[in-house]
Amino acid sequence: MLFNSLEFLLFLPTVFVLYWFVFKNQLRAQNILLLVASYVFYGWWDWRFLSLIVLSTAIDYWVGLQLEKTAESSKRKLLLGLSLTANLGMLGFFKYFNFFVQSWVDAWASVGVTMQGTTLEIILPVGISFYTFQTLSYTIDIYRKQLQPTKSFIDFAAFVTFFPQLVAGPIERASHLLPQFYKKRVFQYEQAAAGVQLIIWGMFKKVVVADNCAFFVNPIFENPAAFSSGELAVGMVFFAFQIYGDFSGYSDIAIGISKLFGFDLMVNFKFPYFSRDIAEFWRRWHISLSTWFRDYVYIPLGGSRGSKGFQLRNVFIIFLVSGFWHGANWTFILWGLLHALLFLPLLLGNWNRTNLASKSYGWLDVLKIGTTFTLVCVAWVFFRADSLSLALTYLEQLSSLDSFSLRFFIKNNAYTLLFLLSVLAIVILSVRELLWVLQKRETPYLNRYWTLFLLLAIFFMGSFKNQMDFIYFQF
Amino acid sequence: MQKFVIKIGIYGVLSFVLLNAIAFGALFFLGKSQLYKPQFLKNGVPTTQFDYIVLGSSTGLTTLDTKTIDSVMQWNGLNLSMDDSSLNSHVLMLEYFLSLGKKTDKVILCVTPWDLQNPTNTLNDNDYRFLTEINNPVIYQHYQTYDTKGLAVLKYSKYFPLLGMSYYNNELFFPALFTAVQPNKRNRFDEKGNYTYPNAQNAVVPKEPNTIQLSIKNPAFQRMQALCEAHQIELLIYQSPLYRQTVQFPDGKETIINHSAILPEDLFYDPIHVTSVGRTFCTLAFCEALKNNE
Repeated sequence: MLFNSLEFLLFLPTVFVLYWFVFKNQLRAQNILLLVASYVFYGWWDWRFLSLIVLSTAIDYWVGLQLEKTAESSKRKLLLGLSLTANLGMLGFFKYFNFFVQSWVDAWASVGVTMQGTTLEIILPVGISFYTFQTLSYTIDIYRKQLQPTKSFIDFAAFVTFFPQLVAGPIERASHLLPQFYKKRVFQYEQAAAGVQLIIWGMFKKVVVADNCAFFVNPIFENPAAFSSGELAVGMVFFAFQIYGDFSGYSDIAIGISKLFGFDLMVNFKFPYFSRDIAEFWRRWHISLSTWFRDYVYIPLGGSRGSKGFQLRNVFIIFLVSGFWHGANWTFILWGLLHALLFLPLLLGNWNRTNLASKSYGWLDVLKIGTTFTLVCVAWVFFRADSLSLALTYLEQLSSLDSFSLRFFIKNNAYTLLFLLSVLAIVILSVRELLWVLQKRETPYLNRYWTLFLLLAIFFMGSFKNQMDFIYFQF
Repeated sequence: MQKFVIKIGIYGVLSFVLLNAIAFGALFFLGKSQLYKPQFLKNGVPTTQFDYIVLGSSTGLTTLDTKTIDSVMQWNGLNLSMDDSSLNSHVLMLEYFLSLGKKTDKVILCVTPWDLQNPTNTLNDNDYRFLTEINNPVIYQHYQTYDTKGLAVLKYSKYFPLLGMSYYNNELFFPALFTAVQPNKRNRFDEKGNYTYPNAQNAVVPKEPNTIQLSIKNPAFQRMQALCEAHQIELLIYQSPLYRQTVQFPDGKETIINHSAILPEDLFYDPIHVTSVGRTFCTLAFCEALKNNE
């Protein structure tokens, strides 16, 4: 079920009314309702894949209980291994099986050896990368003795499948979200009102910014050789705003819906395009994933301790894994690698924390923000392109500076109008966020005038006819 | 909780009313314009009696030039073709034309083989252009019958214009703002309803010639026949040129001018449309055929 669909428009108020009116003050019944609603929400897409979530939930629930019972190190390792194998095994099979088979065949082919590889027609279950990581955080934290396992299967299952953030995050930590299922929820006006604001803001980013930009981005990335340098430059910037509007819009809606049910999810984006260097960008972009990798991969690897060489190795590993998490394609790996390379000078010069503390902006920061945004945009080309060769064609054609014509965007009245709308949407988004950044806010806040203005924008500028799926569903 | 529900209710209703009022206003301005064919017919064409009208999709719009036909045949006609439409919408256009109290002796129906062979009628891509006329019973009925998928935004726009205006905001809302300033602006057609492609060829890929043995399965065709019969209108079928395709029609009671295979290849703009020179060629050939039929 999509947030921006008719079904969800009926689903959400129904669950809300049942939750606060019918099952008010009945914690267990509320949790059961959330669980059932989450299964319906997910099963709406393909009910067969519910079995994967149930299996993953059951394994980790059992592993959690067993970890509590045993103090024996080898047994605990075995239990953690079981959880990791089951979860990463499912993820690996559904997401990466074909990639590994094909890469194996291609690798041998490059040295002249012909291999037979059997690829399978595998459907990637929506959101598998998200809920797998979420449930893994539970067993790892119990293994590390940082979290007590829950005795309630309902609470745990509701945590794993919590519908607002099930398919595209934020990837919640068990230590943060799970205890919220134990506590009696009291309706708070301010929390719910903030939730509605976030839903409206997220919806604006999705249907006005992202979906309008997507109309131009898709044909440009399909055949970059057919476009001028100017058109490719605009296409690249449009994609930067498409993916930001799409993904952060989803997160905002997810956080907003959670607030309606009395839950607080972690902030996933902090206006990342106002970052002054790549290190700051990664502290503002997809925070739930980068902190997950930091806590469960980077720090166990040694983190920033040890020699520079050791730190460099860890940074490269973390960026490569992050790229690979996004999809089974060399383009994502290269995207991760590119970010690692951009991070490298900051690490070597010990500048990776320079902009961490400072929330004040000077004129020089404008230049830094512009430079960082440009670098991020170039990297996005690899992320969006269907293949490495298309990405390289894109950048080659872009850097040829052959023509700055923007004819594609104004080829008829409809295109011109849509182009102007997309630019206007980006300007509104950027101005609104700039104001928040200058106010030193980390999360969106809208007064009633902005809320009304955004509602108007959603209905009269939104791309309902050319509606797109959320990009991160594929991950 | 109570405060939240009340506030959400009040703000929700107020927003809904405001948004619908804006949509209604936009629809009002668009309805007074000549932007699309339905508004043009209502506001830009004072004539009520025509010798003929041309109905069709983009092939009808760009192949037959009513100015040339009028001058050669000494007739008075109008091109009411709309791009991205099909027989179903052509019937609607004729119903709408008649509902405005206008009359015509002939309907020249520009057909395409794939449309005639299509047994299923659905809402067409550009049927939203009739939205300003939703209070006209023929338009309302059309939306009730064919807008059946998803939210059915056109179907319910009579009471909630926000639905149609929001869904088709690029096609209706922003053009409506434009027509508030320039009500006489027309969307890519002249004062007789014609449009032409340029002379350069666009996307003609050579292919083997073939013949289409046509059998008419579209139920809208029978509706067109019945409507013409009921209003004593002569129905003429016109098949415009198709690149390396010959259409063979089944026998019928209507006059068929089949020009599927008459156009030199260099006068095609794309496989189903003609260039500006091709349009003159086709229109003169059409007039010649009309004269031979008379």
